[in-house]
Amino acid sequence: MSERKTGVYLCSGCGIGEAVNVATLEGVAKSEFRMEPKTHACLCGDEGVGMIKADIDAGVNQVIVAACSARVMTDRFAFEPHLTIRADLREKVIWSHPAGDEDTQMLAEDYLRMALSQAPKVTAPEPWVDGDYSQRICVLGGGVTGLTAAKEAAALGHDVLLIERSDRLGGHALGASKRLPHRPPYDSPEPNDVDALVAAVKAESRIVVKMSVTVTKTAGMPGKFAVTLSDGSVEDVGAIVIATGWRPYDATKLGHLGYGASPDVVTNVEFEAMLKAGRPQRKSSGQPVKSVAFVQCAGSRDPNHLPYCSNVCCATSLKQALELIQADPLTNCYVIYEEMRTPGVAEELYRAAQKAGVIFIKGKVKGVGADLTVTVADELVQADIPLQGLDMVVLATGMVPNSTNPDAAAEEYGADLLKGDVDPEAPIKVAGYCGSEPGAHERREQAIPPGGPLLNLQYRQGPHLPVLHDGFADSHYICFPYETRRTGIYTCGPVRRPMDWAEAAEDAQGAVLKAVQAVRSAAAGAALHPRVGDLSFPKINYNQCTKCRRCTVECPFGAIDENAEQYPQVNATRCRRCGTCMGACPVRTISFDNYSVEMLTTQIKSVKIPDEFSGKPRILVIACENDAVPSLDMAGIKRNSWSAHVRVLPVRCLGSVSLLCVSDALSVGYDGVMLMGCKPGDDYQCHFVKGSAMAAERLSKIGETLKSMMLEPERVVQVEASIADADRLPKVIDEFVDRIMGIGFNPFKGF
Amino acid sequence: MTHASPTPTKKYDLNFARWVYENVDGGDRMALCMQCGTCSGSCPVGQQMDYGPRKLFMMIRAGLKEEVLKSNTLWNCVSCYNCVVRCPRKVPVTYILHDLATVAVREGYAEAKESDNSRFAKAFWWSAAKYGRTDERLVTALYYFSFGMGEGYKRGMANMPIAMGMVKTKRMHLGMPHKCKNTGELKKILAKAAEIEARSHAGGAGNANPAGGTAGHDK
Repeated sequence: MSERKTGVYLCSGCGIGEAVNVATLEGVAKSEFRMEPKTHACLCGDEGVGMIKADIDAGVNQVIVAACSARVMTDRFAFEPHLTIRADLREKVIWSHPAGDEDTQMLAEDYLRMALSQAPKVTAPEPWVDGDYSQRICVLGGGVTGLTAAKEAAALGHDVLLIERSDRLGGHALGASKRLPHRPPYDSPEPNDVDALVAAVKAESRIVVKMSVTVTKTAGMPGKFAVTLSDGSVEDVGAIVIATGWRPYDATKLGHLGYGASPDVVTNVEFEAMLKAGRPQRKSSGQPVKSVAFVQCAGSRDPNHLPYCSNVCCATSLKQALELIQADPLTNCYVIYEEMRTPGVAEELYRAAQKAGVIFIKGKVKGVGADLTVTVADELVQADIPLQGLDMVVLATGMVPNSTNPDAAAEEYGADLLKGDVDPEAPIKVAGYCGSEPGAHERREQAIPPGGPLLNLQYRQGPHLPVLHDGFADSHYICFPYETRRTGIYTCGPVRRPMDWAEAAEDAQGAVLKAVQAVRSAAAGAALHPRVGDLSFPKINYNQCTKCRRCTVECPFGAIDENAEQYPQVNATRCRRCGTCMGACPVRTISFDNYSVEMLTTQIKSVKIPDEFSGKPRILVIACENDAVPSLDMAGIKRNSWSAHVRVLPVRCLGSVSLLCVSDALSVGYDGVMLMGCKPGDDYQCHFVKGSAMAAERLSKIGETLKSMMLEPERVVQVEASIADADRLPKVIDEFVDRIMGIGFNPFKGF
Repeated sequence: MTHASPTPTKKYDLNFARWVYENVDGGDRMALCMQCGTCSGSCPVGQQMDYGPRKLFMMIRAGLKEEVLKSNTLWNCVSCYNCVVRCPRKVPVTYILHDLATVAVREGYAEAKESDNSRFAKAFWWSAAKYGRTDERLVTALYYFSFGMGEGYKRGMANMPIAMGMVKTKRMHLGMPHKCKNTGELKKILAKAAEIEARSHAGGAGNANPAGGTAGHDK
């Protein structure tokens, strides 16, 4: 790299010039950093940006902008390929602290110091690009989800490899008589149109369909996956979409609901096949059925069977009852339910079924006799009701995700790796919970789904896709639903949560868009969600590496393998650039071009710590840039105020915070350190899944270090922050400052 | 109601709900009942009922035919229409209760036939249909003596002071019963109403109960 030449630009607009003394700020840059800052009254305007561009033409190759938050005006202050460093003087200084105040001035100076001091430590990242990248997308599963995914990927111009385990396309939809309503007025079963979807996929020349095969091995990384199939072929693909769907819950375990006691007790899947074949008939006598009871939650929401709700069984029973009544209006249909769950527009189907005369009985089924007498503990009548004279009982069984391959034998070394490594039940104790703190749970043993791995990943962290507690593939339901913890591999459809046909098709479209983004970003060496477009990647200095393997174990995405000499080996396109490896490394040997432990500690140390006689404490808030920093920005926008003794250090993720940052902060005289990040646990909001959990885990071990430094463990806390916490966080910060003042000043000040 | 309910037994009938949906006045809307309980909560005489309307409807769904048709809920409804006005699913609760009362009488549920309220309803309807007005003396006399001569005399005498007081304050007169102006027209109206009712229920669902039985069938 050519010689570094840094340009420093201060903005006095948006009220910065009135609230703080910009001349003093300029003096800080000049006297402490020997830099010649330029000030403009509207830096983001054409004139201000033009000034910076003129300097870049004259040789400046690193830009420091001290103006507004790094989250705004990003396009104005982007000077590719040069690096821009931002210091926030607006949201976190003048909008959240009193104008003209001595403390506000010190705050602004410190933020400027934090920006200026990091300049020599960072360089513009060079992307990792190596050889050829495949643009092909592999879709696993040929049901509605997989077919839709293949069709959409082809429509986006990508070659598709569609892999189906069975010998035909269509999946469970082939056995469906009709499908749930998916268009207005949503009140009647609609024709099964899977044949058209199968035909469209077969007609598409970009799609190669392989049937009766499974995946035996997957190696590589996004853009460079090598997928070995059971027919012996090896396929190069860029990204993988998992649409392996579901299987019905094993009804033979439902003896208490009469399954097996009479041939006329059937599951909803069996009943669907009967409806498809024509008028359902009693298996025992061959008579057409005239009165049918649908038993909802058969094995679902039952801790002994499936603990979760499968989302579609209620609507499916409504659909089946309506189909029966539409075929013969005199059919009597009873739906025995605990709670009718008709998400979204399925409510219309519920109303249609009520109008059609389906009889709904709220209660729990106590037993089903061999003569089909269904005894219901009716919750609304408060009595046990024996329903007599039924022709058939349909058990609405739930969905079991195919997050593993149930036909394959479980590999001994692999089964245990399926367990979520973030304890789903016991919330990690962190300060500052919204509302009341959750109570301690008894740890529930996580069931391991049967079968072998779907992809048999050749990753250091094992062959499986991590699963959640109930066996569904790990994903964040709401914020980033298709992401798994294996970059470039996306799940959609019922393998990630129970859903119906229309939802699964929509899901497939979403996952395909992610897959397309994955293959295109991989070729450019750019990161995926949530640091989309980031070109940096972890670099390991092998001279210092002690082969401790903490980085390979802790990486939330399994991006780091071990090579033949047991050194960590980064697979760059698997990496999401969270820096959890960097935070894990005990010898600071992992760093990014523009992000390192050294950079963070330099920033921490650049802050001027007043002595204890000044009465001014200094508190370091290490804030996650995904939720905590934006939330503080919003607090500033709302003019919420918090203590001016606090210095906020944005980090990529709390996972990237090395404990060395914390101990360095305390040894230079900060009075307290607060780590502010997303919610950990099974219902995590961490954008890197495990980052905040790893931070909590590491922090739980800092007590000993602090005691050896003769410091109180209460000086270091972790706080949960969500994007909506703009009103709460200032209070949490102020409470912490008060608590630190109660403990007293850090005795290390001035050393 | 032309059709008797297709009852395998008088006690319990799995098909009862479906039959009510199709044959009872307002039963089609009852299918939409979502058990919110607004009716029971709004009922001014709910305390005097065996079961509130909400629970009664659920019992119908559960097929508890005998318990439904024997309950005093059907007879204690005072037709205030609070529930009908408030029902979020527009279930005409009052109509359903009154029509179920007719079913109970017709299908011979003894408790229904013998209930105080069914006797009073009959007496009330007799007077209203005959004179176009209710005559306090005739209605009460018919009602009291429906329990038998001895009981009727006893009940009549017990209420004598009230009757004397009403006469004294000119709230009750002692002459011929008052009639409406043209009872001939009234007869024609009632005949026409019965005809319309029979026609509207033709083809299964029906209440062929022109001039007897329930009062307040003011649809």
